[in-house]
Amino acid sequence: MQILSRIPQLLIYGVISGSILSLGGIGVSLTYSILGFANFAHGDFMALGAYIALGLFTLTAGLGIPSTPLGPLSFGFGFILSFILAMGLTALTVVLIDRFLFKRLRHTSSIILMMSSIGVALGLRNVLQFFWGPQPHYYIEKIQLAIVIPGVGVRIKPDQVFIIIAAIVSVGLVHYFLQHTKMGKAMRATADNMALARVTGINTERVILWTWVIGATLAATAGILAGIENKFITPELGWQMLLSIFASVVLGGLGNPYGAILGGMIIGLSEEVSTAFISTGYKPAVAFIIMIIMLLIKPTGLLGKRR
Amino acid sequence: MSLLTGDGIHSGYGDMEVLHDVSFRIEEKEIISIIGPNGAGKSTLLKTIFGLLKPTKGSVTFKGNSITGLAPDRIVRLGMAYVPQVENVFPSLTVHENLEMGAFILTDDFSARLEDVYELFPLLKKRRRQRVGKMSGGERQMVAMGRALMLDPELLLLDEPSAALAPKLAEMIFERITAINETSVSILIVEQNAKESLKLADRGYVLASGQNRFEDTGENLLANEEIGQLYLGG
Repeated sequence: MQILSRIPQLLIYGVISGSILSLGGIGVSLTYSILGFANFAHGDFMALGAYIALGLFTLTAGLGIPSTPLGPLSFGFGFILSFILAMGLTALTVVLIDRFLFKRLRHTSSIILMMSSIGVALGLRNVLQFFWGPQPHYYIEKIQLAIVIPGVGVRIKPDQVFIIIAAIVSVGLVHYFLQHTKMGKAMRATADNMALARVTGINTERVILWTWVIGATLAATAGILAGIENKFITPELGWQMLLSIFASVVLGGLGNPYGAILGGMIIGLSEEVSTAFISTGYKPAVAFIIMIIMLLIKPTGLLGKRR
Repeated sequence: MSLLTGDGIHSGYGDMEVLHDVSFRIEEKEIISIIGPNGAGKSTLLKTIFGLLKPTKGSVTFKGNSITGLAPDRIVRLGMAYVPQVENVFPSLTVHENLEMGAFILTDDFSARLEDVYELFPLLKKRRRQRVGKMSGGERQMVAMGRALMLDPELLLLDEPSAALAPKLAEMIFERITAINETSVSILIVEQNAKESLKLADRGYVLASGQNRFEDTGENLLANEEIGQLYLGG
């Protein structure tokens, strides 16, 4: 009975962690569907975004841009400005990584691309560690009090409400892009059949560019939101989440961004709810077991493409 | 000046040469049918024309300009469109979105062109919101042809449009090909279904073992006994 009473609260945590996993998963899924490889550097794109935001936040504070908390949130305008700029700078960095590395390897095999992404992952993480060190850095050190939702008795912090809203807005924008813009439709067409996209006259190089821009922007968003949720960031932030993100993407169906959103939510909820029954240390194991079960039952995932 | 000419084309995959010295021409508003047994190099010829394969020797000339070795996304802008034999639609997109992708390179409004294509294939207009992955082979072929027509090409290359279709559907597709031709689009069609495609062709070429064997009007080729025995199943 005591265990069951904890579940509503764990569901809230699950939605928060699911929101972050979903945002990370969309990028992994898009890269896989357009470029055909599992990008192991995606977690480190998240960490990169989180650290660029930290750097910019320090800079805005130094420039005297105010960051008095907005309403009930623990951060203000200066932080939100850093957040938005960090999304753009992360996208720019990732596009440069593509130009200098992935683009040159695109004619080789998906295995070589995957291996080189592991190299990018290690490289990025060490660059972050070089500049900021391995120790945690705090966005905001102040402790925020949770609001108790009357009736249900669950507690949620205003920052956590912000995370959920930011995730919903991001997912809504991705959906609008994919379904209602010419480039979004071209991206889905290229994911279906790149050779046909080329003979149709679709500029597949520009599609690839947009794939990286969107994936990286969402990765930065996920990294920064994870930093807000955890209160601190480390260079390992994204890498630690990568297994859960891969599990989400496989669960939802490799190559389907909507599957990544669904998978992220399921993995996030399962990981959090599992803590009512088993030790918190087993969270990654829960994601891994779900992924293996899915691969055994239906390898194409919940919303996977029929081949 | 012919619309398209191929002159002494040698082409193939890597070290394997499939076409050995193939020449042909297409005049404006013609339907040309290329027939021949499996493995004769029919699809290879279309891929070479459209820049998916580079000829090792010979040249392709379109509207008086050499397009030899040009990439497909460049050729499509010159007024030539290509419908591959398989995987010729975007399955997860709707009918409407497939046609929209056909007009990708256009920056201006293409709604008039869209209506023209829907007029050619009224069924597609009814199913415009449906995902193409869930449609039948005949319907997919219509989507594929409609997609290729969105740029109002002067020349349409069709690779086995009737393959794997029931006879009645194949007949309907051939009838649509004639209708497309009547809107002054030249058509180069490659077919296993040789009899049917020669019936609607102005001229035909017989390709065997990577070489031109015969060239004549569609009628004459159909009447030719030797061709009948060798390539049209008696």
